[in-house]
Amino acid sequence: MIGTIASQAAGRLYAAVMNLPERPMRWAQGHLPDGRLGWLFVGPNLAIFAVFTFLPIIVDFYYAGTGGTNLLPTERPWVGLENFASLLACKDYFEPNSCVRDQFWYAIWNTVKFVALQVALMLAFSLVTALVLNRKIIGRGFFRAAFFYPVLLSPVVVALIWKWVLQRDGVLNAAFVGAGLQPVEWLLSARSAFGWTVFVSIWAHMGFYTLILLAGLQAIPADIYEAAAMDAAPPLRVFRRITLPLLMPSVLVVLVLGLIRAVQIFDEVYVLTGGGPGSATTYLVEFIYNTGFSAQVRQYGLAAAASLLLAGVLLVLTLIQLRGMRAKGSSRG
Amino acid sequence: MSRIDGSLALQDVVKRFGNTEVVHGVSFDVADGEFVVFVGPSGCGKSTLLRMICGLESVTEGEVRIGGERVNDLPAARRGLALVFQSYALYPHMSVYQNMAFGLENLGMPKTEIQARVGEAARMLRLEEYLQRKPTALSGGQRQRVAIGRAIVREPRIFLFDEPLSNLDAELRVGMRAELVDLHRRLGTTMIYVTHDQVEAMTMADKIVVLRAGRVEQVGLPLELYNNPCNRFVAGFIGSPRMNFLEGRVVDGVIELPGLGVVRTRARLPAGGTPISIGIRPEHIHAGHQADNNLTGAVAGVEQLGGLSYVRLAGPDITIQIPGQTRLAAGAATPIHFPAGAIHVFDADGLTLPRQTP
Ligand SMILES: Nc1ncnc2c1ncn2[C@@H]1O[C@H](COP(=O)(O)OP(=O)(O)OP(=O)(O)O)[C@@H](O)[C@H]1O
Ligand SMILES: [Mg+2]
Repeated sequence: MIGTIASQAAGRLYAAVMNLPERPMRWAQGHLPDGRLGWLFVGPNLAIFAVFTFLPIIVDFYYAGTGGTNLLPTERPWVGLENFASLLACKDYFEPNSCVRDQFWYAIWNTVKFVALQVALMLAFSLVTALVLNRKIIGRGFFRAAFFYPVLLSPVVVALIWKWVLQRDGVLNAAFVGAGLQPVEWLLSARSAFGWTVFVSIWAHMGFYTLILLAGLQAIPADIYEAAAMDAAPPLRVFRRITLPLLMPSVLVVLVLGLIRAVQIFDEVYVLTGGGPGSATTYLVEFIYNTGFSAQVRQYGLAAAASLLLAGVLLVLTLIQLRGMRAKGSSRG
Repeated sequence: MSRIDGSLALQDVVKRFGNTEVVHGVSFDVADGEFVVFVGPSGCGKSTLLRMICGLESVTEGEVRIGGERVNDLPAARRGLALVFQSYALYPHMSVYQNMAFGLENLGMPKTEIQARVGEAARMLRLEEYLQRKPTALSGGQRQRVAIGRAIVREPRIFLFDEPLSNLDAELRVGMRAELVDLHRRLGTTMIYVTHDQVEAMTMADKIVVLRAGRVEQVGLPLELYNNPCNRFVAGFIGSPRMNFLEGRVVDGVIELPGLGVVRTRARLPAGGTPISIGIRPEHIHAGHQADNNLTGAVAGVEQLGGLSYVRLAGPDITIQIPGQTRLAAGAATPIHFPAGAIHVFDADGLTLPRQTP
């Protein structure tokens, strides 16, 4: 008895809630001109986007054209392109010491080195991993999950895990000492700190790219491989002439996404090395962050200008990616 | 030119996927140069058998011999066979030329020889204009021909075809059928052709292997299967429209069809009272009554094909074929006659009863 009353009440409540949008929607349908109803649905999202994305972009442009250290926009003097000029003022671009903003150019060259090494290695590793995981090996499901797992971790957690491993009294050195070796200051030498930032970022992101490549591999029909077997193609030739060309669209996606994300590298490295030792692992985004928010003198204008330059690079990479995707879409269709 | 022996023999071949046995001890021989068709309903193991012959699937038990040599453990690449896939399985990123040349390049053949062979195959298959195109830019029939061309250039010992025409429209299918038969005549190579379409089997084969549920039901010449099917399955599978079957009982040396009458046949009948079934093809039933073996049915439907007509009767539930056009309309009572010589008789297990020797 009580049960039926309760369930009836629950049913009424459910109906009432579900009918709640009915009246406003009817009103909107009646009063909005045809085809405009869509705006009502994207409206809330658009508002959030405007406040937290479009507005900052405009603000960024404004700050890039102003100088001084005051945060209030009204108190900032207009300097035009001076910030860009000082960032780009260099006797020799390959020699950061000869530049007005030497830290910016150290960051740029660090980033270039990092991107080249990280993307190349990550592509190679994720390709090999995907090829192995695409075979019928024992524990395939487990390995697929294991390789993807780091992708689910927050970058800060990733950095803390590896800091715990690599610091002076960390796990790795404990193992060294246990084996009778001298502990190594992994994060205090420029070369090794740089190497570890490359390694950790590959470790953290590889699973995602492996997944893309794995999906690409599985999209290649099995009968093509059977045809190749009938055509007496040796394994290496099958890889070069069949697997690789058919996987190329996925490789391109991985390449460009990997490039974009490598250029943007910040959080893992910031927590792991803080950009050090010296500025050995200070990459572009960290330079921007330091300049704008953590230095003694907060040069918002300079940081804004540097971030616009970075945005330009990312825009070019994104356009390349969009083109690649479009080419892929049309060749499939 | 002495060709390599393209004969094939299967002996007690069994295939199991895990614990499921899908091919149960299949044996038959194919002579060099023969055109053999495997025919059977969907899922009966035709493709599995073909894939075991070409080496894409391992043989669980038994023996596959090609040219007299046991090939069970020989990898697909070294058996010297060519397979045309149902899905064509063309390399989508290669041009038509590259598709055909790939297998030859793998053999390390000199470029000029490859060009000569691909050119020859392209001429034979009328693909010369399309050599630089990708497979996506070809019609279904053209893709089919590329797949065949890829097989031809390798000059295999045996051609294997897995339902190669099933993706084509009816008209193209008839055309390609004739082209394949023609190709076989010109090349003289052994061909094994899988289909579930008995018309394809009848029109193309030197020899038909009828399969059901992983077993060979009968092996024989097309007309042999049509005239003397060894059991009810083969009788029903070969011939279109399919044979009519009626259930009955042996009574005093004739067959009583309950509620329909009695028929005399030429079969050697078992003792009285044995349940039995008879089969007769639509094209062998005569309209109109004669001295004996007469039945009457009501017309349930008529299909006019112009040159001939199919009349479906109710009670007995049978189809008859009438030459020319007919004026029979639904509901009309129609007298029919079963010629004794055209009646097939099957025992309770579906096996054909032998004829009396006159
Ligand atoms: N890899 C596999 N694992 C398990 N069972 C399989 C496998 N391949 C085929 N089979 C089974 O073996 C049987 C025969 O399959 P096969 O593909 O040879 O049939 P077929 O005669 O070619 O049918 P169709 O005319 O539909 O192509 C089917 O019952 C199928 O389910
Ligand atoms: Mg099949």
